[in-house]
Amino acid sequence: MNHIPARILAAPGRPLTRRALAKLQTRQRVLNAAKALFTERGYEGATIRDIAAAAGMSTGAVFASFSDKSDLFNEVIIADYEATLDAMREAAAREAGTAGALSALFTVAYEFHLAQLPLAQAGISVSWSRSPAAEQRNREGLRPMIGLVSDVLSRGVERGELPHDLDVRLIGEMIWDSYLSNYRRAAYDGWALEALVDRLNDQIGVILAGSRKAA
Amino acid sequence: MGVRDTQKQATRGRVLAAARDLFDAAGFEATTTRQIADRAGVAVGSVFTTFASKAEILSQVMVDRLEALYAELERVAPHLRGPTVDRLRSLMAIHYSFEMRRARLFVAYIAASYGWPLDGAVTPLGQNKRLQEMLGEQLRRGIEAGDVRPDADVPLFIEALLAAYFWNYRRVVQEGADAAALTAIMDRQLGLLFEGVAARP
Repeated sequence: MNHIPARILAAPGRPLTRRALAKLQTRQRVLNAAKALFTERGYEGATIRDIAAAAGMSTGAVFASFSDKSDLFNEVIIADYEATLDAMREAAAREAGTAGALSALFTVAYEFHLAQLPLAQAGISVSWSRSPAAEQRNREGLRPMIGLVSDVLSRGVERGELPHDLDVRLIGEMIWDSYLSNYRRAAYDGWALEALVDRLNDQIGVILAGSRKAA
Repeated sequence: MGVRDTQKQATRGRVLAAARDLFDAAGFEATTTRQIADRAGVAVGSVFTTFASKAEILSQVMVDRLEALYAELERVAPHLRGPTVDRLRSLMAIHYSFEMRRARLFVAYIAASYGWPLDGAVTPLGQNKRLQEMLGEQLRRGIEAGDVRPDADVPLFIEALLAAYFWNYRRVVQEGADAAALTAIMDRQLGLLFEGVAARP
């Protein structure tokens, strides 16, 4: 994972100092190690000490880039959001209708996260017990993805497929929650990609059923 | 019941009460079995002769709460009147009102049920048969009364409703939402979902 989020880079046109570059590389090493250990042991099981050791640095060096384990975990999860966003957007853009676009973008997400299911599960579990500050940060990181879902719904409204007074925010939230809830099926019942996507398509159908009638 | 059995029952009761309070105060992960044992006034060993794991304790705490909740609901449900969508709203409002009395406990339960490592002892959510049956009953009444379509996909509707019901609890974590706020959101979501199964006059 070498993707460095744009918000971390210096202002456009200004080259990074050697010091800043070194800090970025350290940060990335820690994130890579953290991701591997969180995936292997879950949130509770992975310690800062073990993560630092796996990254080949001191715990002090880890704390120079991240305030605590919760912060580090958040940044791992958010880096993944950013890694999938473009692919999700492209998948949605290729589809003509709302249902197809939503199905396509969530297929990308499911496929990505199924390859690292324990981490996805840990992410959901942690989201139920985060501090308000961590919650705020996570919400920021998630915003582009939620925005993508809203965009797809808004385009449906523009096309006349969905009613003009559609509660885009409420529906977007319900669809997002349905998407997340299906990870339980993957974790407990071993559902694979196709089953998850089919289930989500049905759920989106129910959520939009009333709206479609009104359109 | 022999003396030993009575003692075992008493221990069990104290452990469950202590665990309920501690999970409610500090969440599942942060609470240790030692803390539960101390608060219950029993030896840690006694806890483990009654329960296989901390997760099993949490499951039992939640099962016991369900008994109380369903006693309340079963009293109320047959007397609900009005359009089906409003009867459903009433049932969900009772759920929020009940669970939000110990909001942190319920949220801890949801968090634990997604926890790692997977622990079979923490009952996965949404498998609450009694709630599904109760909601199904209201929808059947609705079909008979003519405000729900006879060909409505009832199981799918109930599943969507339950998903929204549970995931709304995240607003407790995210925004400090109270029972009234959750009920208000559920009311809107129910209205939206119900449009998909409503019979047209």
